[in-house]
Amino acid sequence: MDTINVLVIEDTPAQSDRLVKTLEENNFAVVGVATSLKEALSLFYGSGKIDIVIIDIFLNGVPDGIAFAETINAVPNASKPFVFLTSSTDRQIFQRAKLTQPFSYLMKPFNELELLYAIEMAVEKFYAQQDVFLGDDEDTVISDEYLFIKKGKSLKKVRIAEIIYIEVEEKYCNIITEKEKFVILISLTKILKLLDNNSFYRTHRNYIANLEKVEEIILADNLIILSGNHRVTLSDTYKDIVKRMRTLR
Amino acid sequence: MKYKILVFYILCFLPLLSFSQMKSEYGEFEKILKQKSDLYINEPNFKKAQSFFLEKEWDSTLLYTSKQLGLTSKNKHLDNFSHFLRGYSFYKKRVFSESKSEFLKITEDFDYYLHTKIFLGAIAIEQENYNKALEYLLPIENITNDKLLGINRNSIEGNIASCYLLLDKFSEADIYFKKNIKFLEEKRDTLNLVIGYSNLATNYDYLDSTDQAIANYKKAYDLSRYIDDYEVKTGTTHNMYEVSKYLGQPDLAYQYIEEHNQWKDSLHDQNEVARVLQLEKRIAVEQKQQEVSLLEAENKVKEAQKDGLMLSSVILLLLLGTGVYFYREKVKSNKIISAQKEDLDELNATKDKLFSIVSHDLRSSVHALKSSNSDLVDNLEAKNLEKVHTLLHSNSAIVNGAYNLLDNLLNWALLQTKQSYFEVGELRLFFIVEQVAHNYKALLLEKKIHFENTIPKKDKVFADQESLKIILRNIIDNAIKFSNAEDTIKIYTRHTKEGFCDLVIEDTGLGMSEATRQNLLQETIVTSEKENKDIIGSGLGMQLCKSMIKKNNGNFFIESELGKGTKMIVSLSKIPPDGYY
Repeated sequence: MDTINVLVIEDTPAQSDRLVKTLEENNFAVVGVATSLKEALSLFYGSGKIDIVIIDIFLNGVPDGIAFAETINAVPNASKPFVFLTSSTDRQIFQRAKLTQPFSYLMKPFNELELLYAIEMAVEKFYAQQDVFLGDDEDTVISDEYLFIKKGKSLKKVRIAEIIYIEVEEKYCNIITEKEKFVILISLTKILKLLDNNSFYRTHRNYIANLEKVEEIILADNLIILSGNHRVTLSDTYKDIVKRMRTLR
Repeated sequence: MKYKILVFYILCFLPLLSFSQMKSEYGEFEKILKQKSDLYINEPNFKKAQSFFLEKEWDSTLLYTSKQLGLTSKNKHLDNFSHFLRGYSFYKKRVFSESKSEFLKITEDFDYYLHTKIFLGAIAIEQENYNKALEYLLPIENITNDKLLGINRNSIEGNIASCYLLLDKFSEADIYFKKNIKFLEEKRDTLNLVIGYSNLATNYDYLDSTDQAIANYKKAYDLSRYIDDYEVKTGTTHNMYEVSKYLGQPDLAYQYIEEHNQWKDSLHDQNEVARVLQLEKRIAVEQKQQEVSLLEAENKVKEAQKDGLMLSSVILLLLLGTGVYFYREKVKSNKIISAQKEDLDELNATKDKLFSIVSHDLRSSVHALKSSNSDLVDNLEAKNLEKVHTLLHSNSAIVNGAYNLLDNLLNWALLQTKQSYFEVGELRLFFIVEQVAHNYKALLLEKKIHFENTIPKKDKVFADQESLKIILRNIIDNAIKFSNAEDTIKIYTRHTKEGFCDLVIEDTGLGMSEATRQNLLQETIVTSEKENKDIIGSGLGMQLCKSMIKKNNGNFFIESELGKGTKMIVSLSKIPPDGYY
C-alpha cells in the first residue's frame, strides 16, 4: 500500500505548517506547499503524482484558489480530487466555488477529524462512489489507476496494475499484490463493475484474476498459475478465459 | 200681396251642414274620416294634423297640413285629405275664400268629393252666390242616401229650396220646400219644421197665394210654441204680427208684437248671459292659466332646488367617504408604524443588552488573561514551572471561552444578515458529532467527564453541515459547562416521530429549573436569571441554536431536572427537502 500524495495550496505559513503536520501524522505524503496560483499550477503539473489537492480559497487576498480549481478542471482526465479551505461562509464566494464540481470544502478552523473527513468526501465525490468510507459496509473507492482504501483514520492507495488476483470471501475481498496481501470491504458486484474487465476476469465464484499476471492455465486441473506462483481455481463456468487469452496473444 | 216678411231667411241655410250640427251624424262622419285617414298615420305631420282636427284645433290642423303639403309627397289621396282638412278648418274659421280654394284643389276621385261639393255649396250660399250653390247642390240631391256618408239629404233639399226662393224661382222653391217639410214632418223635427213652414209661407207670399201663406205662417207660429229657440220664436211672432197687420187685426198685431219683443228681449238676454258667461269663463280660464304657470314656475324652482340639494349632498357624502377612507388608512398605517416601532425598540433594547453582556464577558476574559499573564511573568522569573504550566492551561481555557463567544457572535451576525452559505445535504450524524466532539476531548479529559457517542453510523439527516456543527458545538459546550467531574455526557439518536431523527445530548450535570427551561425556549436573546452565578453566559449560544435549528426545519426540546441533568433534543428531518437533488 502506498501513501496518498497531497498538494497543499496555502499562503499562510502558520496554517500550512499545522496542516502539513496533521496530514503527515495521518500518513499522508505532502508533495509540496504552494503559496501562489502559479506555484500551485507548476507543482500540480510538474510532479505528476498528486492524488489530492487542498486549496485555500484566498491566496494573498484574492480567490485564486477557485481559479486553480477551475484551471485543473478544464483539462479532462488530468484533474484530481480537491478540498477548498475557507474561513468565511460568504455566500458569493461559496457560490463561485460550488461551480467547480465536485465541490468539497473545509471550514477553518478545523480539527484533524474534519480534515480527514473532508479528504474522504472529496475522493468519494470525485470518483462518484459516495457513502463508501462513512458506512460500515465498504472501505474502498476504485479509480482507474488506484484503489483508495480507508486504513484506520487515514487513506491508502494500491496501484490496480499491481494486483495479481482477488479472492472474495463473503463481503470481504483479499487483495493479493506482488508485495503484500490485505483485506478490503467491498461487494463483488461493485468491484467487478468498477475494475477494467479487459484486465480482470472472473475465473471462479470466489476469484478474480489479473489477465496480465497469468503465467499458465492448466485446464485439466482447473487451475491458473499467476506470477509469483499464485494459483487460482478456474471453474467450468468461466472457462471462456481461454478464448480471451488467445485473443490477447 | 207683396209682403216681404223675409226677416229670417238666414235660418233656411242652417240645416245644410247637418253633420256639423247633429252630434250622432257628426260622430259617424268623424269615425269614417278617422278610418280613412289612418292609412297615413305613418306621416308624422298628417297624424298630428288629423288628431288636432278631431280635437277641433283648427289653427294647428292648418299648420300641420301645410307642413305635410310642403313635403311634396307623390300621394294624391294624402294631398286630397290634407286639402280637405284645410278647407274644413278654413270653413270653420269662416275664411270662405281660402276654404273654397282648398276645396277646389281636391280631385274628383276623392272619397269625400261629395262633401267637398256640399262645402262648396255652403260657401257659395255664405257668399250669397246662389246660382253657384244650386250648381253644387242639385247633383247631390239625386244621389242615394247611402253614398252621402252622414250628409242630411233633406237639409240639401231645404237649402236648394231656399236658394230658389232667393233667386225668385218660387215654383221650384215650392217643390223643394214641400219635399223638405214632408220629410221633416216624418222626422217630427219641430224646429226645422217651424223654419220650413215659415219659408214655405214666404214662398206662398211671393207666389201671391196669400191664404196658403197665412196658413203656413200660422202653422209655424203654432209649432214655435213648442220650441225654445228664441230667434225662431222672434221670427214667427214677427211674421204673425205682419200677417195680423195685413188682415187688419190691430189687437192681434199688438199682441204678436208684444210677444215678438218679449222673445227678442229673451234672445238678447240669452245672448248677453252667454256673452257674460263666456267672459267669466275666459277670465276663469286665464286665472287658472296664471295659477298653473305660477305653479309651474314654482315647481321649476323647487325642482332646481331639489337637484341642487341632491348634488350637494352627493358631493358632501363623497367628501365624507374619502375623508373617512383616508382617516382609516392613516389610522391603519399609524398602527403598523407604532407596532413596528415597538418591535424595533424591543430589538434595539435586546441588542443593547446583548452588546453590554458580550462586552462584559469579553472584558472579564481579557482581564483574566492580563492578570494571569503578569502572574506568568512572576512565576517564570521564579522558575516555578509547575505554576506556569497551570497558568497556561487556564489561559488557554479562557481564550477558548472567548473564542467561542466571538464565533457565536459572528455566526449570529451572519445569520441575521442572511449572508452565510447554507446548503442542506445528507449528513451522517455520527461523524459530525465526532468531529465536533474532537475539539472538546482535552477539556472533557481535564474535567473528568465521560463522553459517549453511540449514534449508529447509518443514521442520516438532511441539514446544513456548518450550522449543524454550530448547534452541536454550543450544546456540547453547555453540557460540559454545566457538568461536574465524573458526570457523563451521552449523545445518541431516537426515532420517535415519523420522518424525523432526534439527536439527544444528555448530561448528568446540574440541570435547570422549569422556569429557566421555559426561559431558554423563549424567543428572547437574553436569559435573565441563571442558577449558577459562577457560570456566566449571554444566552446568545442558545438563541443561535434555536434559530439555526429552525432554519434547518428542525425542532428543539429541552428536558431537564434540577440536580439530575439535562437532555437537549434536536429533531432533524430524515426526508430530503423540496427541490433537493
